[in-house]
Amino acid sequence: MKSRQVRRRPGMSRREFLVRSGALGAAGLSLPALLAACGGSDDGGSSGGGNQLLFENWPLYIDPTEDGLTGSVDRFMAASGVELTYSEAYNDNLEYFAKIQPLLGTGKTIEPDIIAPTQWMAGRLLNLGWLDELPLDKVPNAANLEDAFKNPPSDPTGKYSLPWQSGTAGIAYNIEATGRELKSVADLFDPEFAGRVAMLTEMRDTVGLVLLGEGIDPSKISTFDEAAVAFEKLAKAKADGHIRAFTGNDYTDDLGLGNFAVCVGWSGDVLQVQADNPNVRFVVPEEGGTLWWDTMVMPKGAKNRDAAAKWMNFVYDPVEAAKIAAYVQYISPVKGVREELAKIDPELADNPLLFPDDATKARLIPFAALSEDVEAEFEAAFSDIVGA
Amino acid sequence: MSISTRRGRIGRILLNAYAVVGFAYLFLPIAVIVLFSFNKPKGKFNIVWQEFTLDNWKQPFSDEGLTSALWTSLKIAGLSTAIATVLGSMIAIGLARYRFKGSGAYEFLLVLPLTTPEIVLGSSLATLFLGQSIVEFGFTTIVIAHVMFQISFVALTVRARIRGFDWTLEQAAQDLGASPMRTFWSVTFPLILPGILAASLLAFALSIDDFIITFFNSGSTITFPLQVFGASRVQLPPQINVLASTILMVTVTIMVIGSLRGARAARRDARP
Amino acid sequence: MATIQMLRPALRSKEGGERVGLAALIVVAVAVLAVGAKWVTGFAAVAMMLAALLGIVSVVLVALLGGPEAKRALAPYGLLKPGSIWMALFYLAPVWTLLKSSLSSKASRFAVQTDFTWEFSNYATAFSDFGPQFARAFLYAGAATVLTLLIGFPIAYVIAFRGGAYRNVLLGLVVIPFFTSYLIRTIAWTSILADSGPVVSVLDTLRLTSLLESVGLMEDGRLMNTATAVIGGLTYNFLPFMILPIYVALEKIDVRLVDAAQDLYSSPTRAFRMVVLPLSLSGVFAGTLLTFIPAAGDFVNAQFLGNPNTTMIGNSIQDQFLRQNNYPVASAMSFVLMAIITLLVVIYSRFFGTEDLV
Repeated sequence: MKSRQVRRRPGMSRREFLVRSGALGAAGLSLPALLAACGGSDDGGSSGGGNQLLFENWPLYIDPTEDGLTGSVDRFMAASGVELTYSEAYNDNLEYFAKIQPLLGTGKTIEPDIIAPTQWMAGRLLNLGWLDELPLDKVPNAANLEDAFKNPPSDPTGKYSLPWQSGTAGIAYNIEATGRELKSVADLFDPEFAGRVAMLTEMRDTVGLVLLGEGIDPSKISTFDEAAVAFEKLAKAKADGHIRAFTGNDYTDDLGLGNFAVCVGWSGDVLQVQADNPNVRFVVPEEGGTLWWDTMVMPKGAKNRDAAAKWMNFVYDPVEAAKIAAYVQYISPVKGVREELAKIDPELADNPLLFPDDATKARLIPFAALSEDVEAEFEAAFSDIVGA
Repeated sequence: MSISTRRGRIGRILLNAYAVVGFAYLFLPIAVIVLFSFNKPKGKFNIVWQEFTLDNWKQPFSDEGLTSALWTSLKIAGLSTAIATVLGSMIAIGLARYRFKGSGAYEFLLVLPLTTPEIVLGSSLATLFLGQSIVEFGFTTIVIAHVMFQISFVALTVRARIRGFDWTLEQAAQDLGASPMRTFWSVTFPLILPGILAASLLAFALSIDDFIITFFNSGSTITFPLQVFGASRVQLPPQINVLASTILMVTVTIMVIGSLRGARAARRDARP
Repeated sequence: MATIQMLRPALRSKEGGERVGLAALIVVAVAVLAVGAKWVTGFAAVAMMLAALLGIVSVVLVALLGGPEAKRALAPYGLLKPGSIWMALFYLAPVWTLLKSSLSSKASRFAVQTDFTWEFSNYATAFSDFGPQFARAFLYAGAATVLTLLIGFPIAYVIAFRGGAYRNVLLGLVVIPFFTSYLIRTIAWTSILADSGPVVSVLDTLRLTSLLESVGLMEDGRLMNTATAVIGGLTYNFLPFMILPIYVALEKIDVRLVDAAQDLYSSPTRAFRMVVLPLSLSGVFAGTLLTFIPAAGDFVNAQFLGNPNTTMIGNSIQDQFLRQNNYPVASAMSFVLMAIITLLVVIYSRFFGTEDLV
């Protein structure tokens, strides 16, 4: 499969830069080529593969080459000699799952060597048997993984996933619109904000937060009944017209303008908007906030294991991880990033959203890993709330 | 007498005004799209007007994902339109020129895809493709899906256009000694060509624009609308507007050239 | 040899050519459909493909060896065949697989294949769980259809009767918005209807907000994330589908008829009502169908412009496919949608009298 160099785009602010290489959408996909690329070679994990690597990640999730700085992808390629194709085709966990399901579900392989599902999706892929073990024996820097992420419920052996970036979901609000500081999940349901509340389409973040507000620990649930009270509360809020919309990342504009007074939101989004609009605040509620992380996993049959190992080792070097974190502004799962970041961007290194203090850290709870059947119940109930 | 003429005139003016407003309504979002291609959004979403800038137009292809998706869309549209035009025109000629058993039933069949909601068309094709392993989801399946609904459009449009065609011209040509093949290519085809071209232009537009059917059948191939949708939860860069405006300008240009040439041909034919 | 002897009469006569053509068309279409829809597999499938091949061969034979009468009778079938194969394989077969899928169940939630188990409960679920979405889909689509008719008819009228030399240009203008992506047009409406956008500002200045809120058109002083916005989006996106068929119908009307009517009735309005309107009905019929049907199954407008209480059946079907991974229920919902639409269309055409669509 062809791989293309990441092209730089001079003169645009870092927020607007998109690192892309469109190997998938690229020229002349003839049927034979398509079959050859996607089709069922069972080149298992035994051989190390070639010197190429295809990594499909979320958009705006890596530091680009611009403003005189070299981006991580370019630095890695120069340092390791690996031809990395970095693609931002991972837009949504469920949509991506629907794309790979016809292939991985019938025993075929997919193109990318590394993909970036959120931890719960990684858990689902693992349970379905669609993942290969990571070549961790060739990734010494994996030891730098923060303890909080070791052996999570979604990957109990810790051998199938390595976190990419982490983040929290909490309350994002516009202080001008609310008129006061917000502290609790109950504020989301304050009648004063009726019709000006937005929540996330990400079920675990929205439901997780509401559960925490009801005093239930989302990391300890295993049946639907335990969470029913949260769904009832959400259903009522929706029926009352209290919730204006369920959004992806697109709540930030409306939040900045005050159209949404308060949202369930993500720390990184708020951080990026705050520079231009200091009215937008983020808080991890006193009852707690949800912790999530996007992972690097290798789908079954991924060929370029050595190259993948080199990449993972590279991004788990605190020096490199700090550069990524400086741009992406989500929580890095690598130890020692804070010290390195202080050398590049001291202000960022002190930002509590990026490096929460211990008290806040204790309140960050990941959602439990649900079994297939229970997850189906959760998803069905959540679909009712979202209106679908 | 004068009252009714005045009423008639007021009515006519009102009607024209109404139509102008209607056209303005049709173009309002287009104007917004073009306008916002000059916007410099503060955040990741190009929804609120901030300030004027030419930067986006200086680097229209800076978003590589968008650009490659657009290129994919154009290729798909080109290929599917070509196939659908040929197949659809053949059907149209068959239906319009000949009277044969089963033509009524066939017309009904032709209209059926138009009366099926896109979501049903898309999802049913997806279930078909899921159940086999000859083709993978991707470029091929998208082209197949597009041709499927384009055929109906092309066939019906061309048939409507060639309804008034004087088939005795063919007879005349054959009387003059031309073989059926020659008759078709030299006499029939040039005369029905405008209808076919109009239909293929419409089919091309439908293919570029298609979202719902493509959504279900694309696999990992990304077309322009899919790219916009996929990214729209995370960001809406102004390059979307730039590329959309460019497509618009190109189509308008083609249409203007087409109509100018048509007008010139009409004038030329009218000359004694 | 014997085959050719048998075919000899066919090669001569018109009826023979017609028979061969029609038979071949049907055989090929059915064979393709059967294989595509997996009615037959293995040897039976091969046999069907052979039958199809035989059909094509006999057509070719007649075309090569037949008399002029037979060839002429054969021509339409030959022209129709490639398109028919495509339609049979990629329209009829998928509808069949959809039907089958709607009566299937999956072994596990994420299995790729479904098993045919006469699972009628899928339909029960489709009806019981998604009633509001179905209702809203038809309500919004109906409202949008009425609006497109009100906006589109005058436009079509003006183009047909006042357009003159500029007719094609005006028609082109109607079609041009199509060339921007459906999504981008809808997203443009989020800018136009935004809380801080022009429309809301104008309404605020004119103090119409409270009036509109009492009627239910606006919510909390905003237009975005309301049913109004969804209907507005639907109306806009399907307007060309209403204008074009009405224009085609109006264009066929002989202007002299209208002139004569005006002489007779001495009032343009009455002339319109008595002459133009009835003659335009075939276009109105086509336009309303081409608007209502796709609008009923749409999910894009509701997703971008609506709120959790304005979702349509299209959103639910998409959700069942994507989030719930429940292809059988999604297929059942699609089928119910098609069935209801077909029913509505049948009632509607009875009301109109049977008209052909073009």
